[in-house]
Amino acid sequence: MLRGSIVVWVLLLLGLALGQDTRVVNILDPSTAYNREVTRLLIWVSVFAALIFIVVTGALTYTVIKFRRRGNEQGEPPQFHGNDRLEIIWTVIPTVIIVIIFGLTAQSMIANARFPAGAMTVKVTGYQFWWDYEYEGLGIRTSNELILPVNKPVIVEMTSKDIIHSWWPASLVGKQDAIPGITTRLHFTPEKEGTYYGQCAELCGASHSRMRFRVIVVSQEQFDRFVEGAKGFQAPAATDPTLAKGQQLFNQQCAACHAVKGTANEANRVGPDLSYFGNRTTVGAGLWENTDTYLIPWIKNSPGVKPGSKMPPFPQLSDEDARAIAAYIKSLKIEGLDFEGLPQF
Amino acid sequence: MAVQAPTPSKPSGLPRAVALIWDMLTTSDHKKVGLIYLVTSFLMFGLAGLMAVAIRYQLAVPDNNFLVGDGYNQMLTLHGATMLFFFIIPAGVAGFGNFILPLMLGERDVALPRINAFAAWLFLFSGVLIYTSLFFGGAPDVGWTFYWPFSASREGHGVDFFMMGILTLGVSSLLGSANFAATVYNLRAKGMSLWKMPIFVWSVFATSLLQLFALAGLTAASLLVFIDRKLGFSPFNAAVGGDPVLFQQFFWFYSHPAVYIMLLPYLGIAAEVASTFARKPVFGYRFMVFAQLGIAVVGFLVWAHHMFTVGESLLFQLVFVFFTALVAVPTGVKIFSLLGTLWGGHLDMKTPLLFVLGFLFNFLLGGITGVMLAVAPFDYSVHDSYFVVAHFHNVLMAGSGFLAFAGLYYWWPKITGRTYSEFWGKTHFWFFLVGYLLTFMPQYVLGFLGMPRRYDTYPDGNYLWNELNFISTVGAVLLALGGIAWLIKVIDSFRRNEKAPDNPWGGYTLEWATSSPPPSYNFAFNWPSFFPSERPLYDWAKAGLKPAPVDVKDIHLPAPTVWPFMTALGLLITSIGISISPNATPDLPGVAGWQGWLTVGLVTFLYSLFRWAGRLEYDVPVEHHTVTNKSNAWVGMAWFIVSEIALFGVLIAGYLYLRLSGAAQPPEERPAIWLALVNTFLLVASSFTVHYAHHDLRKRKFSPLRFGLLISIILGTVFFLFQVYEFAVFLGHENPAQQLWATMFLIIVGLHGAHVVIGGTGLALAYYQAIQNKLDDHNHGTLEGASMYWHLVDAVWLFIVCIFYIW
Repeated sequence: MLRGSIVVWVLLLLGLALGQDTRVVNILDPSTAYNREVTRLLIWVSVFAALIFIVVTGALTYTVIKFRRRGNEQGEPPQFHGNDRLEIIWTVIPTVIIVIIFGLTAQSMIANARFPAGAMTVKVTGYQFWWDYEYEGLGIRTSNELILPVNKPVIVEMTSKDIIHSWWPASLVGKQDAIPGITTRLHFTPEKEGTYYGQCAELCGASHSRMRFRVIVVSQEQFDRFVEGAKGFQAPAATDPTLAKGQQLFNQQCAACHAVKGTANEANRVGPDLSYFGNRTTVGAGLWENTDTYLIPWIKNSPGVKPGSKMPPFPQLSDEDARAIAAYIKSLKIEGLDFEGLPQF
Repeated sequence: MAVQAPTPSKPSGLPRAVALIWDMLTTSDHKKVGLIYLVTSFLMFGLAGLMAVAIRYQLAVPDNNFLVGDGYNQMLTLHGATMLFFFIIPAGVAGFGNFILPLMLGERDVALPRINAFAAWLFLFSGVLIYTSLFFGGAPDVGWTFYWPFSASREGHGVDFFMMGILTLGVSSLLGSANFAATVYNLRAKGMSLWKMPIFVWSVFATSLLQLFALAGLTAASLLVFIDRKLGFSPFNAAVGGDPVLFQQFFWFYSHPAVYIMLLPYLGIAAEVASTFARKPVFGYRFMVFAQLGIAVVGFLVWAHHMFTVGESLLFQLVFVFFTALVAVPTGVKIFSLLGTLWGGHLDMKTPLLFVLGFLFNFLLGGITGVMLAVAPFDYSVHDSYFVVAHFHNVLMAGSGFLAFAGLYYWWPKITGRTYSEFWGKTHFWFFLVGYLLTFMPQYVLGFLGMPRRYDTYPDGNYLWNELNFISTVGAVLLALGGIAWLIKVIDSFRRNEKAPDNPWGGYTLEWATSSPPPSYNFAFNWPSFFPSERPLYDWAKAGLKPAPVDVKDIHLPAPTVWPFMTALGLLITSIGISISPNATPDLPGVAGWQGWLTVGLVTFLYSLFRWAGRLEYDVPVEHHTVTNKSNAWVGMAWFIVSEIALFGVLIAGYLYLRLSGAAQPPEERPAIWLALVNTFLLVASSFTVHYAHHDLRKRKFSPLRFGLLISIILGTVFFLFQVYEFAVFLGHENPAQQLWATMFLIIVGLHGAHVVIGGTGLALAYYQAIQNKLDDHNHGTLEGASMYWHLVDAVWLFIVCIFYIW
């Protein structure tokens, strides 16, 4: 019965999964050294686990088959009270296994505790319910989508401005908590270009599951272009009436919380930094594609589409107004960057 | 009802239901107390199970809108808190423990029957308290782990109710645990040594010790969150140098050992069921007991594996990796020994045994994935993911939960006096096993595929997330069907009303020697004092020994009283009042009428407490035999004091950490040392007066006794007033919200002040008994307990003087 259900289950999964164009999030994705190390440890543990599993389930199955009462047994079974030698064996063998696993784990943790020299440092700050990124030494700030060069070690320093969050790009590296008043650090080296799915992993309120992000790993050349464009970024002058209107509305309604580089409000930290928003692939902290379909309802009524969102609703804005704002912020863009064709992880 | 007739009939003209309820409210019978726990906890299991189905319904498809945001968070918090605090912890140790343990020991009751009844009502009311939040603006929504500062940031009073619920539940657990520890210590059938006790008794004992030592962590965590919410200062506040991670240290210092609190009683049940249904003794009895104690000890050294991702130092993490993995060893010994118990037996495949077999398979999976989680680098990857969700449901739901049902089927005939249908029992089991596997095996895979826990929804388009979540929901439906099969079994059992025999399974322990259900006096026997092993009934049958009948007319039981219930009710009302009072963080007004709740509650509480003290336990003087020759009150209080020392120990450890790390520096102007020295003199003097008062009782000098008690109470009151004055002066120049040392000073010294009030109330109760002439050779438990407690308050004070006034 059990085996049957497992077979059905596996077939079902394969059947459902085939033919879908999906993103494969996988904590054992072999594209980072970190994941390969975890996989190596896991294989060791799995070997011991399989051994224990086979011995115990084997003994259990044998017991159930061999010793079940069949109704014709006479008298009582042998009344033995134990076996000291056996007890010692099944104390010592697991202890040895545990010590081996500990040794391997310790070795791995000690190696991982050495932070790479010459790495780039990114400061991550968690807010309900979005992420702020600051590239140390480059004077660049962005939010929700972190752009990194491939094959270059990066140190991520985390903290939080409100409550505890946890930053987890699952296919790249393990998670680390972002705790107010404390800085925690982790490091990794992305080895494969692509857009990596990331999420908050510590319960933080109504939109805990809507505090997503992306790590976009690009070639060194693309990254340099990003850095160059971001460093010298100036909000472009509005070229047509819609953009001009959008800019005006943005300054009235949005600029009190959102920063745009090269404008009077560039130091704002209340909401996500919207400089080069036109380069974003997603909106609402990794929730939706960055298109008007999602952007307009978001601008008009953020808490309506994302429970607990701290951005207030703007019932005074007409659809046309929201469209103008959307057009304006999408015009804030670094030219020559393209994240569209990247594989998803 | 001092003399117990064999068939107690209610002469009163009350309707049966009212008489039954009145009987429950006034009882101190351990079996009825056990029933309060069992009925409450299995109802809570059903309730929290329905919540789980709602959660799975929301997660059946991506981007679902059935239950999102704060509503979902309330649901997951209530599901977790209810399952842990109101089902899995109490069902085994308090439910089966209360009903079965005194029977297994061959005794008439637990050591402190009335305290026991009080603890049971307080347990029930702490559940009521948490659910009362629904009528005052919403349930807590911060997860059962209530991490700071999330829990301190929430609007509404949900978290306040949750914190008060945990604190009152803690009092209940500690009283229950001290009671069990005292029972095992003091009350055993003559000839039954510690090493001849049934395994289940050992596991209740080990669990009680764990609670007494560990609960302090949870109390400290919830108390400090509560203080932050109500008064606005916290040692976790990083803005003034505090450490947010300290909250997690406190919380997990309890909450990991709690995992073993949730496991050990059930391992005891597994051993009893395996032995009975295999028709063999337990395999490796001593190793089993040592393994249990080993789990209890190592269980204290693993808490930080819940905190691998908070950025602690490498060495700190390595230590916890080691002990976390190591705890698998004694747990393995238990599993192997259970297999050894079954090996070579004549396995009778009845429902209780099926649940034990299901447990063995599932717990093995849970144990293996537990060792995987101990490998910290892997934990960084799957921490707070569905892998963890699958793991802890593996050990708690299919582990302890299955064994809770094994126990329920095993003792069902003994508890209810009725047989049950094996068909519905087995249907229940198979639905649970298949439903369980279908619900949780996909969740392990979801962990590898990066799905975090506590998510109210997930997007379409992540590889296999939709499919695995859907299968998991189907599994939850099967579990719900299993629950229905169980309900049918219950209804069927009561409708058929078929009388169960005394010993339907051929059990070996003493609970099977009496009728089903047992009479209020448990046994009308004198046992043979021959206990060669943990299976007295088997050994006696072999040796041809028979218990000697005694006349039930000579059996005395505690008199029924409603005051323990009323005292607990007073605490419930008080707690509601405190919960809805104004908050400082975040700034919230109180709910209108909170002062009314508080006043009514306090008056009810104090009035009932004194009425209780004025009601003698027995209507006729009774001689108690105890194993240690110490009174039950003495042993119970001794164990209770362990928990108090642990509470101060945990908080003082937190203070020492903040002080030594340089974060908590004393302010320029500190509380005056001369006042502290005067207070020290007062308190030490009062300890002496209490001691002499107690002495006078033994010498039957009642007038000096009363005088000594009165002097002690006055000294304590003066101490307390001095402390209030000191606090007022101190708060005049320091703001505890801005000064970390002041925060710790107010919390620890304030908590000590609260203990002075509690201890003083205890002395006042003894004084009240003295002036009512109710203190004598047989009835001096209150005085004995209160005076020991008072010495504790004194000792803690000396420590506080050293670390706050002198240092």
